[in-house]
Amino acid sequence: MHRAARTASVAIALATAFAVTACGSSAGDEVAADKKQTLTVWAMGAEGEKLAEVAEKYEKANPNITVKVTPVGWDVAHQKLVSAAAAGKLPDVAQMGGSYLGEFAELGVLEPVDTKTFDKKDFFPAGWQQGEVDGTSYGVPWYVDTRVLYYRTDLAKKAGVGKPPADWKGLRDMASALRDKGDGKWGIYLQPRGLDTVQSFYPFLYSAGGEIVDGDGKAAFDSPATVKALKEYGAYMKDGLSMKSSQPGYDPLKDFNTGDVPMFFSGPWISTLIKDQYPGLKGKWGVAPVPADKTSTSMAGGSSLVISKDSPHKAAAKEFIQHLTDTKGQADWFERTSDLPANTKAWESGELADNPDLQVFKKQMETAKTSPALAKWTEVTSKVDAAIESVTQGKASAEDAAEKAQSEIENLVK
Amino acid sequence: MSTTSGKAAAPVAGARGGGPGTAPSPATGSEDGREGPDGRRREHGRGRKRGLGVQNWAGWLFSTPFLVLFTVFMAFPIVATLAMSFTDFGLRNVTRPWEANFIGFENYTKLFGDEKFLTALFNTGYFVVIGVPLTLFLGLLVAVLLNNGIDRARTFFRVGFYAPVVTSIVAVAVVWRFVLDPSDGLIAGLCAELGLTAPDFLGSETLAMPSLIAMAVWRNLGTVMVLFIAGLQAIPTEVREAAKLDGAGAWQELRRITVPLLRPTLLYATVITTIGYLNVFEEPFVMTQGGPSDSTLTVSLNMYREGFNFFHMGYASAMAYVLFVVIMGITVLQLRLLKDNTK
Repeated sequence: MHRAARTASVAIALATAFAVTACGSSAGDEVAADKKQTLTVWAMGAEGEKLAEVAEKYEKANPNITVKVTPVGWDVAHQKLVSAAAAGKLPDVAQMGGSYLGEFAELGVLEPVDTKTFDKKDFFPAGWQQGEVDGTSYGVPWYVDTRVLYYRTDLAKKAGVGKPPADWKGLRDMASALRDKGDGKWGIYLQPRGLDTVQSFYPFLYSAGGEIVDGDGKAAFDSPATVKALKEYGAYMKDGLSMKSSQPGYDPLKDFNTGDVPMFFSGPWISTLIKDQYPGLKGKWGVAPVPADKTSTSMAGGSSLVISKDSPHKAAAKEFIQHLTDTKGQADWFERTSDLPANTKAWESGELADNPDLQVFKKQMETAKTSPALAKWTEVTSKVDAAIESVTQGKASAEDAAEKAQSEIENLVK
Repeated sequence: MSTTSGKAAAPVAGARGGGPGTAPSPATGSEDGREGPDGRRREHGRGRKRGLGVQNWAGWLFSTPFLVLFTVFMAFPIVATLAMSFTDFGLRNVTRPWEANFIGFENYTKLFGDEKFLTALFNTGYFVVIGVPLTLFLGLLVAVLLNNGIDRARTFFRVGFYAPVVTSIVAVAVVWRFVLDPSDGLIAGLCAELGLTAPDFLGSETLAMPSLIAMAVWRNLGTVMVLFIAGLQAIPTEVREAAKLDGAGAWQELRRITVPLLRPTLLYATVITTIGYLNVFEEPFVMTQGGPSDSTLTVSLNMYREGFNFFHMGYASAMAYVLFVVIMGITVLQLRLLKDNTK
């Protein structure tokens, strides 16, 4: 009976395997770029909706191509992409967040980028790196983002702080001044715990010179730099400068508007949100580079465009991606979405060159660090989240937290 | 369906959709109706040849859509999950499942040394032990009150108590977050009026779980209430009148007539509420993500994370089966304890 059950389970696993591969190996013949064909494209969130407009224009210039854009919600994107990959039904072109690329490269469903067509030198280094897995590039950077410091200029003035902080000490002093002499309850918002706390922690970690995983793919969390960053981060909660707990999905914007939270770190999309939702804040806020420790280094994120390995329309897909990532296409995209261009040449004219706030992002982007594209990255960051939480909640010392996370990460990256 | 021997539970179970009672009936119904009580036995024996006639052929034809759907969406995943739980199925196996290794009971033995899983198991137990009695007691209370007391606004209250059941969890979450928000929520506002500071319900390791239990009780009260109302209305008025003639007061009527006659409903309500709470996922998923410090991490949420965030499919499948065994064990125990007491 025992053996029968075992045989049965193996048989079923095999049956599943065959069923899945049967679907997976449906790659057809390649179609040349100038033939009549339909390109399927998946894009997430706001990008998905705007991309349809661009696609329409593209179709007019290239009448042989029909571009079918499917917007996918960010909340279901990952699941949808994985099941599509398993079934061999990935679209010809897909947008992928930096954190997905390691996984999908591991799945072996992505076509390597043609480096003759797409030149590494044209893009921000961090943008390019997020598509690189073990030295091979799988994604062309589409847009980038990085985190900078948002602060209320009017409240800073009231608290007697003229300039944005340049270093860690300056940031802590400013947070105290804003809390004590401004109207705010807090000095700054730093995510205290929960999912993706790590995103809020990166500016501290990277500026101190720390890393989660080093260039060789080995765990490197247990370093003096990490401990220093953890201590600094935890000090904000300990001193009551930042809240010790916040609900999942907490958005500091509302409290930024009231002045309760006069500073926080976030990405470029927040500028658009402030303009749209709180027009009353006009002229009362600014952005500043990440306060420095050893350096002023922020995290880099963004999205890349990938081509499915099974796609029969690779040639046309490549041309479409080229259209989206060249200088003109990127400037056009910025106008539509305010997404920051990954192509550095697109920054040389128009608002991108003139707007001082955007220059803060550009400068920060030049040195920003990207997280390595590892298949188990989400699991790794969940350990870091837990380490940060144990420090901000006063449950462990920075040293112990770093050591514990290090041993857990070691088991995951090897 | 509503004629089934006055048991109030049956029609409601059907209405709930996907409840445990609904699945088997379409499959067996067509055979049983035709062949009488011993029809099934005949099929296994010599009667089989005769059974291939038009009658059985039609039966199978009509149940085919169900059987196909059942096989594809129920039976196959159940068996595949069991098979998967003995392998190290991970991310790369999504496209290359044949590379998964058979590892025997390793996933299962690993589970009981996994701090997160044990925490989740404890939290789920906590949720059930507090949540189930509360839901049942309050549900019964509301049902009795609605059945006896208020005459005029009965429909209004019935709808009011049932509304949370049919409301989407996302909408519910928005409301409850507002209620519990420590800085400008409803409770915080009331506390401020009284000069008190509201606790940070969802941010506190001791209060987060009770808050979620309160939310779940509020959300499931309606289901239980409807069951009990149906059960109460199935009690013949003659019995009540007879009891009154014999001089029974309200309390005695409740104890000697209502509760014993309600026992089948009570059993059913207990079992489905317990199963539902052992599977609790939505509340922690939308409200706390299992935090703070894993204090609201439940088995289902942990399973979801291991499976879909980290792609430890084999490991998550093992968790699913442990949960299944726990649920089955508790259900059998409940059926034993509650069923035969009347006889």
